[in-house]
Amino acid sequence: MNIKELTSKKFVFFDGAMGTMLQAAGLGIGENPESYNLLHPNIIFDIHKKYIDAGADIITTNTFGANSYKLKDSPYSVETIISSAVSIAKKASESKLVALDMGPIGQLLEPMGTLTFHDAYEIFKEQVIIGEKSGADILLLETLSDLYEAKAAILAAKENSSLPVFCTMTFQENGRTLTGTTPETMVHVLEGLGVDALGINCSLGPKEIMPLVERILKVANVPVMIQPNAGLPKLINGETVFDLTPDNFSKEIQALSALGISIIGGCCGTNPAFIKAVKDSLKNLSPVKTNPVKNTTVCSSTKTIVIGDGVKIIGERINPTGKKKLKAALKENALDYVLSEAIKQKEAGADILDVNIGLPEINEIETMTKIIKEIQSIMDLPLQIDSANPKVIEAGVRIYNGKPIINSVNGKKESMEAIFPIAKKYGACVIGLTLDEKGIPHTAEERVQITEKILHTAKLYGIPKENILIDCLVLTASAQQKEVLETLKAIRLVKEKFGVKTVLGVSNVSFGLPQRKLLTRTFLAMSLSYGLDAPIMDPLVEENIETIDTFHVLTNHDEGSKKYTNRYRKEVKKEVPVNQVEKTLKEIIIDGIKDEAALKTKELLKTLDPITIVNNYLIPALDTVGDQFEKEIIFLPQLIRSAETVKSSFEVIKEHLRTTGNTNITKGKIILATVKGDIHDIGKNIVKVLLENYGFHILDLGKDVPIETVVKTAKEQNIKLIGLSALMTTTVKNMEETIKSIRKNNIDCKVFVGGAVLTKEYANMIGADYYCKDARESVTIAQKIFDI
Amino acid sequence: MELKKKEILRYLGYNSQKIDSQTNILINESIKEVQGLLHKYYIYKIFDIEKNHTKIHLKNTHIFLEGKDIYKHLFQSEKCVILAVTLGNIIDQKIRYYSKVSLSKSLIFDACATTAIEAITDSIEEEIIAYAKENNFYTTYRYSPGYGDFPLSIQPEILKILDAHGKIGLISTPDFLLLPRKSVTAIIGLQKNPISKYLRSCKNCNLYHTCTYKKEGNHCEHKRINQ
Repeated sequence: MNIKELTSKKFVFFDGAMGTMLQAAGLGIGENPESYNLLHPNIIFDIHKKYIDAGADIITTNTFGANSYKLKDSPYSVETIISSAVSIAKKASESKLVALDMGPIGQLLEPMGTLTFHDAYEIFKEQVIIGEKSGADILLLETLSDLYEAKAAILAAKENSSLPVFCTMTFQENGRTLTGTTPETMVHVLEGLGVDALGINCSLGPKEIMPLVERILKVANVPVMIQPNAGLPKLINGETVFDLTPDNFSKEIQALSALGISIIGGCCGTNPAFIKAVKDSLKNLSPVKTNPVKNTTVCSSTKTIVIGDGVKIIGERINPTGKKKLKAALKENALDYVLSEAIKQKEAGADILDVNIGLPEINEIETMTKIIKEIQSIMDLPLQIDSANPKVIEAGVRIYNGKPIINSVNGKKESMEAIFPIAKKYGACVIGLTLDEKGIPHTAEERVQITEKILHTAKLYGIPKENILIDCLVLTASAQQKEVLETLKAIRLVKEKFGVKTVLGVSNVSFGLPQRKLLTRTFLAMSLSYGLDAPIMDPLVEENIETIDTFHVLTNHDEGSKKYTNRYRKEVKKEVPVNQVEKTLKEIIIDGIKDEAALKTKELLKTLDPITIVNNYLIPALDTVGDQFEKEIIFLPQLIRSAETVKSSFEVIKEHLRTTGNTNITKGKIILATVKGDIHDIGKNIVKVLLENYGFHILDLGKDVPIETVVKTAKEQNIKLIGLSALMTTTVKNMEETIKSIRKNNIDCKVFVGGAVLTKEYANMIGADYYCKDARESVTIAQKIFDI
Repeated sequence: MELKKKEILRYLGYNSQKIDSQTNILINESIKEVQGLLHKYYIYKIFDIEKNHTKIHLKNTHIFLEGKDIYKHLFQSEKCVILAVTLGNIIDQKIRYYSKVSLSKSLIFDACATTAIEAITDSIEEEIIAYAKENNFYTTYRYSPGYGDFPLSIQPEILKILDAHGKIGLISTPDFLLLPRKSVTAIIGLQKNPISKYLRSCKNCNLYHTCTYKKEGNHCEHKRINQ
């Protein structure tokens, strides 16, 4: 079935609400609507019939909640519900089409919740396979508010059936889904994944969705569908009320139809009268052809970046090449360090982050997926997935919640064959490098030829040119001075000839020459004036950012020079503190001033050895702060700030030890874990910072930690002390189970426990060795165990 | 939405210590930031109730509210309001972000968010009280799963009858934790007689031995409302 063709000539009508009809037929509150397929098939049949009589071209099966999670306590299996639902709908359908209705799972995906992307995929996969086998004609994924869940559902649909896939999401009055996705982001991601139609359903009425529909139509290349509620739901006396009549509803839909939608149905509050009214009001009209904007876009789940709309910075720092610290962090699986690199770049002004973790010693697929999940759990910058291995790229692109850039493909046949299918399947942007079997060409013209080859081949795979970014490749001015200008010329030619966007790793130009920053900055300015859209660079180098800010003023991108003025006027005003009495490191820590602590530590390291600084400054300062906390002179945020200040001192010391080749100064290894089922880990994080400051090596297993992980790590690492945290009464039982399992496995170690609902008595009862009333006490316990 | 600093400090375990200027700045900044991110996602429904020995039954549903405390709470009520509120996922994401940037900031941000969800729930409660007044009902204070002997295991049922996942994106984990994290479910009774003015004492509470607030020399929301 070609949906685009079908909707180009006439409107296609879906049915209205199943729930509204079922409630009218006596469905109780909290009762499982899907059970009606088996208990009252005649009621379902009648509902379908009424919608067909009203003029629906497609009817929707009564399977909104028919997934294995929602049906886990039901006497009916997913198979029974879906097959019966499809069979009733087919019986009623006459010549009409049957859409398998698939609603949200009812659990939140990681990181918001605990359901993994893979498990979500499997849940949808089961529905898809049964639905197709039962004879459904279309798969309708609807009422989704989480883009990540939509992605899992679409992949499950596309990989396990050949049916057309329609996907609608639910938006709030603020113009976003409940998890923050904008209409544009939804279109870029879902369309990229290959849906046949997309749009909005539920939550709002036709009038309220109008501005959102306008935004969708501006960018969508596939048919757009709407299934609004019968007006804006209002909570009156504890009941949800919809206030539109079929007549009002159809009038508002008519206004929407003029914008370019082509598939129409109804959601909550609508019934056959609504569908009939809409169908009647549109009977002499045809869908309006739209003219969507063709932009190069990348998206996180909540943010769309348009490349070409000003200069977009791609942060290059998550790349182990030449970075000892990052290499070490990746090898040790110290993801916090990687995250801190991501955060630094975001704060410095990066728009997109390149993630490259290519190290021969690590499992690149595992690490790449883990890092992507971690970064997307805390920030909204789109990612550029970078690897020499196509398998790593696919794993990264698959787990990514958004529309990423793939770095990269090149003009070699082999490269294109490996990468283009991935870019097409997941709708990703891809960077095309202007090199091929013969290497990097010397002239701009030859690079243009390779670009042409890349674009042509991409087209054969169905990848639009908007999704291709060209990297004209810069060589070092020290070795290939003549070719620097060729790169710049190539940028201009590629843009003029093909209208594609360009990227460039600008800092390569300055390898091997003194004053690299100066050369890079100047080259960056030149590249921008030749038309570079997105430099791949280090955003922490201030000169680079300054160049871009200036460029935005001079090219009229920074309207009224507002951003520039705000930023640089402030800098002039920056006051230098005078006559400040110099503080000791101890005082700095007590006052909690991070930057000063690092500076002061560096200064002390010139005359003192690290151990002396730790023992004579850091630990006494922490002890003082700890005492003040116990005596209630200071309170928790102050204690933590001092601890973080010590941490920044420690960083300097550790760095010093690394450069002088010294061994580390750990006083003992401790496991910390927030137990299974518990996802509140702030308490554990506080304990971690304090213990680390006292020189203990912490193996932080995170939150929601399976019992086996604690036991396995304790065994493997020969751990003497384990700290467990649980915040809820419901998860304390998992704490007890964890302790039991530690004992059963004869691990010779002590366990301390803490958390809001725990008491000393309770800690004893569940078999813990120590009860930790606050974070500070964990230090006392650890010192006792390790005899310090 | 005004966020009371006193409340924020209470969540941070404040007990009249001297607040240094940097902490003060952090708190003020966090208040502003949380205010800028606030969304009021909520849903409530009103149910007729009937008492069935020791259980309360929500009419037209399969739900029984079990436990001595909820029974006592709704003893004089004819109806009850079941309420669910959440600040949504964006606040959770920010807390995760700050926990990687600065633990002290995330702690303060978290406390501001907790204050916000309480303040928003208070405002919805006001709406419910106004409705009750118009209809000649008095309201009980709001009671949540996990208070006293009212089990958290009721969460999935409550969310189901409110369609809380579909309407406001709120779910309960298999261990009955609400997600997004800054969320509340509560039950408010509607009764014809004014509620007795008796102040529920901490000693009568089933959480007396494990109460976090008491450990910190403080008291819970429950008692605060009744003072």
